[in-house]
Amino acid sequence: MSIISPSAFAPPVASRVAAPQAANDPAAASAPTSLREKVRRLERAHSVQRAGHAAVPTGLPAIDALLPEGGLLTGALHEVEAGAAPSGRVAAHDGAALGFAAHLMGRFAARTPGTLLWCRRPSGVFDAPPYAPALAAWFDPARLLVVTARRDEDVFWAMEEGLRCPGIAAVLGETRAADATAGRRLSLAAEKSGVPALLLRPQPAPPQSVCVTRWRIASAPSRSTPGLHDIGAPRWRLELRRNRFGAPSTAEIPSWLVEWNDETHCLAVVSETLHGSTGARFEESLFEERMVS
Amino acid sequence: MRLADARALVPDLITTAGEPQADQRLVETIANWCDRYTPWVAIDPLGGALAEEGAEACSAGGFGGDAGLLLDVTGCAHLFGPDEAGERALLADLVARLARHDFTCRAAMADTAGAAWALARYAERQADLFCPRHGQRTALAALPVEGLRLDAPILETFVKLGLRRIGDLYPLPRAPLTRRFGDLPLIRLDQALGVRDEVLEPQRPAPAFRTRLAFVEPIGRAEDIAAATSRLLAALCRQFEQAGVGARKLEISLYRVDGSVDRTAIGTSRPNRDNPKLMKLFEEKLGELDPGFGVELMILAAPEVETWSGTQDVLPEAGALALSLGSDGTVDLADRLALRLGPENVVRLLPRDSHLPERVQVAATVSIKPAADGAWRRLAGLKGARPTRLLQRPEPVDVTAFVPDDPPSVFHWRRHAHRIVRADGPERIADEWWRPRPDGSRPPANTVPPVRDYYRVEDDDGGRFWLFRDGPYTVAANGRPTARWFLHGFCA
Repeated sequence: MSIISPSAFAPPVASRVAAPQAANDPAAASAPTSLREKVRRLERAHSVQRAGHAAVPTGLPAIDALLPEGGLLTGALHEVEAGAAPSGRVAAHDGAALGFAAHLMGRFAARTPGTLLWCRRPSGVFDAPPYAPALAAWFDPARLLVVTARRDEDVFWAMEEGLRCPGIAAVLGETRAADATAGRRLSLAAEKSGVPALLLRPQPAPPQSVCVTRWRIASAPSRSTPGLHDIGAPRWRLELRRNRFGAPSTAEIPSWLVEWNDETHCLAVVSETLHGSTGARFEESLFEERMVS
Repeated sequence: MRLADARALVPDLITTAGEPQADQRLVETIANWCDRYTPWVAIDPLGGALAEEGAEACSAGGFGGDAGLLLDVTGCAHLFGPDEAGERALLADLVARLARHDFTCRAAMADTAGAAWALARYAERQADLFCPRHGQRTALAALPVEGLRLDAPILETFVKLGLRRIGDLYPLPRAPLTRRFGDLPLIRLDQALGVRDEVLEPQRPAPAFRTRLAFVEPIGRAEDIAAATSRLLAALCRQFEQAGVGARKLEISLYRVDGSVDRTAIGTSRPNRDNPKLMKLFEEKLGELDPGFGVELMILAAPEVETWSGTQDVLPEAGALALSLGSDGTVDLADRLALRLGPENVVRLLPRDSHLPERVQVAATVSIKPAADGAWRRLAGLKGARPTRLLQRPEPVDVTAFVPDDPPSVFHWRRHAHRIVRADGPERIADEWWRPRPDGSRPPANTVPPVRDYYRVEDDDGGRFWLFRDGPYTVAANGRPTARWFLHGFCA
């Protein structure tokens, strides 16, 4: 026979509820960091703990350490936007942003069986839909249901319908529009069903406060084989521009250089001091020296 | 006879491609038209069997040359006249009416289907086409044995043995005939003579699924129309259950008091007879309907139905199918999306084994079975590095390349220069010469098919692009290179 102590019945939320008691402590309340921590805890207790959704790790331990629950929350809205193209170039980072979004979709898809809903609104001038042979690196394109809409409202509507459907593993919407109301509706629908929602933007959009995480992706120069000018594994500059409920970071905007390995199908953070552009140049010069000698 | 031989004999021969399916549709149409004479119309099953064997058979039989319809007019001829006169009148009427539609036909009437079949094809005199009651034995005696609907090997042996007429078979002992040729010759002979029964399988018209609801007082409120639709749907779903089908398309018509009609339709990606789900689809559409001054009659019809496949989670294979798209509500979601956005805008992607990048990915409607597990991964493994986005229409770019076969050093796209730092390539992809061109013509033989040289390039900013040169590098008379460059996609 086992003896169950009364405290075992207390839900895990109880520890969160204890936080306001700490607020009575004047020393703790005066420090802004602890206050911020408290607010964050309250928010988290309110929104995430109640829904009880799990998190899916991004596959990058350095990033997962900052994210709430050690990964991307399911049942929440996440945004992926392409970095600002220099000097007005078109779609310079679009391929990279789509690659990262597909990586996240792949992580969500691996978690649960079901259809992946991909809603998009073709841009007017030149239309470049996602290309399944490349997407196959991240998930099976046979699971994809692609919806094309002419209006942004229809994209949001289709996403919301998808979030309510039990057979959907994840929903992605490609749109330029930044609609705070639609965003709020999407995150509410996601929270209710536990289905993750992603918004993919081909260019930076004015920030909204509804999403849980917002990522900005830019292509970064890849690393050639020393002595050659071939293209190495794709590299992306990852910026975590919003991290609701997450752990605070030392940097204003945490940023990483990541590399997608197409053979092992995994993403890895690249140390910038060693393998960055200067590092590569250093190695190339080493290689040339060796050739001369 | 081969086409070349035929052309040698008749130089100005007009030829058209054989279209067995179109022929079959035509024969089915004529069969439906023959409903005016009798409800019991069958398409000659032998014609169909011959048509499937190949193009050769069409000259001897099949839908192209020897299509046949069998009409059982028992009890129908009296509408045209008493007894034999009525039967003759029916036959004459049938031939005359078909001739008016420019169909040449030979029609025969006999007590048995087999006898009529033989007479229609092999009777030598017009008068022989009508076989009087119990007269098939004498009428058939003079006809060739081909009239017995037998396979070619048996007929050849008959001719070798000197059995040229059907009458030659009458005096032969039956047992040795069966031992030599099997059951078939005697079965056919007995059927033609009326000793043995022959069952005709009639071509039945598809049952019409429709329900109607008339109102004493015209209705106009949206709630009333929704309630009436729900009642009509319930009645129609009962019809579906009895027939073992599900609807693929439903159409509702509102007959307004001023005599005009308003219609709207819904479609489903799988046969469906789930009343609440169909009603949910209708709710989206009912708002579009305009009751005008009032609706006095509503008709709900199902123009497209399919055999009901039931719940599919019993079989293991079907279970996997249902998992990928099925019992979990995804089909209903796809239907709802397709209803609002158009069925062509809700698609799944199927792989196609093709060299050309733009042909690899096929958009298919949801009703088509999704690709098998891992089919995409296998296909992707065969190809090289591919862009994450592929432009629907390749964009022309201006390039500068130092050496003709090298990747470009700079390319200009949409008024911006991209200085290329790294490049992979070329990957040469040739046109598929075995496929007709978009305009339907075939590429001429013995010519090099057009090729594209694909390069994956990275600009100084880190952006990765997929470029191709259309055709090999050649120089025109004015010294400028003829090949053009295009941007085809954005890489990860």
